[in-house]
Amino acid sequence: MSIIAVYNIKGGVGKTATAVNLAYLSANDGAQTLLCDMDPQGSSSFYFRIKPDRKFSADKLLKGGKHIDRNIRGTDFPGLDLLPADFSFRNIDIVLDDMKKSKQRLGKILNPLREEYARIFLDCPPNITLLSENIFHAADYILVPLIPTTLSCLALKQLYNFLDEIDENRSKVLVFFSMVEKRKKMHWELMQQLIREPGVMPALIPFLADIERMGQYRQPVNAALPHSLAAAAYADLWREIRKRMVRS
Amino acid sequence: MPITDPSPQGRLAKESVWRLPSAFAAEELLAELKLSFDNSQGERDRSVTTWFDTFDWRLYSRGLLLYYDRTAWHLVHRDSGEEIAGIPDHGGGGWRFCRNFPVSRLRTLLEPLLAHRILLQLFRSTVTTVSLSLLDREDKTVARLVAETHCPAGADREIHALRLRGVRGYDDDFERIRSFLNERGIREEVGPCFFFDEGVQSGGRTPLDYSARFRPALRETMTAREALIMIYRDLLAAMQANEQGMIDDLDTEFLHDFRVAVRRTRSGLGQIRKVLPAEPTNTFRREFAWLGEITGPTRDLDVYLLEEAGYLARLPEELRPALASYFAELRSRRLAERKRLVRRLRSARYRKLIADWQEFLTEGGGGEPSKKSGMPVLELAGKIITRRFTEMVRAGEKITPASPEEKYHQLRIQGKKLRYILEFFSALFPEKEGETAIKALKRLQDNLGMFNDLTVQQNALREHLVSLSPGSRRNLRLAAAIGGLLTSLGDEQVRVREEFTAQFAEFSLPANAVLYRKYCQGKG
Repeated sequence: MSIIAVYNIKGGVGKTATAVNLAYLSANDGAQTLLCDMDPQGSSSFYFRIKPDRKFSADKLLKGGKHIDRNIRGTDFPGLDLLPADFSFRNIDIVLDDMKKSKQRLGKILNPLREEYARIFLDCPPNITLLSENIFHAADYILVPLIPTTLSCLALKQLYNFLDEIDENRSKVLVFFSMVEKRKKMHWELMQQLIREPGVMPALIPFLADIERMGQYRQPVNAALPHSLAAAAYADLWREIRKRMVRS
Repeated sequence: MPITDPSPQGRLAKESVWRLPSAFAAEELLAELKLSFDNSQGERDRSVTTWFDTFDWRLYSRGLLLYYDRTAWHLVHRDSGEEIAGIPDHGGGGWRFCRNFPVSRLRTLLEPLLAHRILLQLFRSTVTTVSLSLLDREDKTVARLVAETHCPAGADREIHALRLRGVRGYDDDFERIRSFLNERGIREEVGPCFFFDEGVQSGGRTPLDYSARFRPALRETMTAREALIMIYRDLLAAMQANEQGMIDDLDTEFLHDFRVAVRRTRSGLGQIRKVLPAEPTNTFRREFAWLGEITGPTRDLDVYLLEEAGYLARLPEELRPALASYFAELRSRRLAERKRLVRRLRSARYRKLIADWQEFLTEGGGGEPSKKSGMPVLELAGKIITRRFTEMVRAGEKITPASPEEKYHQLRIQGKKLRYILEFFSALFPEKEGETAIKALKRLQDNLGMFNDLTVQQNALREHLVSLSPGSRRNLRLAAAIGGLLTSLGDEQVRVREEFTAQFAEFSLPANAVLYRKYCQGKG
């Protein structure tokens, strides 16, 4: 059983698309999979046409147990469930701050779900906060979509430093290139540079209209357009991740 | 070897199943629901499932079902349909014994249940499904409706059903659709595996139509003769049920169960006299003794061969390969013995015995009343049980650790007699007391049985040792291996003999005697 957090400090790097498509592919393997939408914007929830219950909130999320249990929803796809996000998740740090052992809270509430799910994906909000720290503690893998630009590389360095600071293992981090535009020389150059680093995977997701259009058809790419380039790219990426998970 | 961890199965979705009288126009019905479907055709699927169990229903009787669907094996709960364990098999589903299955959770679960029994194919069914997703206003799936048609091979009609599957977190929608369907007159709700019994019948059997447990349905009002006829009829049915499997040599237990039925019949004929006319009873007794005799050698070899793994475990590793030639010889001897057995089972003598016995029982044991044929069965049973119990306690008390093996052997035979008698009449007596009475006896019998098996095994090994010609290196190693086995078996026999005293003490407790006395007074 593994918990996979899809995370980047920066927004707009393809986190939600990654979480949605990989969770779908995971369930397609026959592994019972849960996708937790931790982002108050609720994009993952939107893609699966799932709205949270009116009574669901950051408070309830962090209480865990039956509060989580009764808010998990089945998606349209067998073996894939979703815990939707609520807008109140924007205040999650404030709620966390008031709690004892505020850095281990998320891991503790996700633990009982390990019995029910073979894989849990976390779609994380972009920032470095107390919630992020919780996520890094809870996750077995931190999957980082990285647009090959200078600023992104800086953000990755910040992440590594932060992990050192909170005593978390850098080897949890798996990096892949996202929204890659092959015509851009800078993308190529940066990728050549980074590919030698440990934890950087060769599989990449190109910048593709089919992925951008997910908001229109509101389904994973691999379900809606299984023969598309985008679907093939996610399938390759998922294969690579599974290989790494077996190795570790 | 590692056993793969059970992978999380997720929570079982809510499900309701309705049996339908005929193929079902799902679309027509659903038009009334204020929901739309994802597409009006629905998703069509066709699968072929093959269902298995042992001859004596070892899975079904424990609420389990096993099937193969061309890609994997699945072990499910009969009531909930929930999968307990599964394993992929792209090789065509040819595994029939537990040992054929790869080491897995499924095999670990099956092993103690199946033991040496073969999995028999009960029936094969082609299942066609049309699934519709029921959507809410957001076009989100809130439930799935599956129209199923089962066609078991050989059945004269199809089985139709409608299955409603809930989606987690949408219980309200599930209930709404469920009550809608119920309002529409679809009321015959059934379990998730409702088609199983009918499928089994299409394959020519009925669930639980055979069990090795022997408990004839005697009534207290019966006369001794009526009861005895019923007992013998049930035993004859058990022989006939096992006959084909024994001839086809599907697994070792057909022959075993057949022999048990023969032995019970012989025990009855020998122990319960003067209820049926002395002639032809004596002729039948002789003929059933013959049947026991001709089925014996194959069974003995089966027992040795089943011990193979146990024998190997008794030896140090370097001596184990030497036993291979011993077991190879046993196997070829078994082949020859089995051929002889099958020939005899096809003989006129065997056919005549079964036909005559059947006729004799059908006629109620001949018109002639015998001395005790009119005696109430309860009186007869009580007398015999008390006599056997007392005899056994007396004989056992005379046994000391220094007694010759012969004495243990005699006590074992007496134990069997008592056990059979208890089983014959068990329906007449209170079930709970009966079980307690049998339990202490069974433990004692296990002890005596083990003692006897060890004697027989050692004798067979000694015999083989004597037959070995010296001079060859291979025989030298085999002789060493047999020597090792004789030591190990001998040590164990000493231990079993030591345990006897305690087992017998428990059996002969005054409390047990009181229990037997009370038991024999009947249910009153």
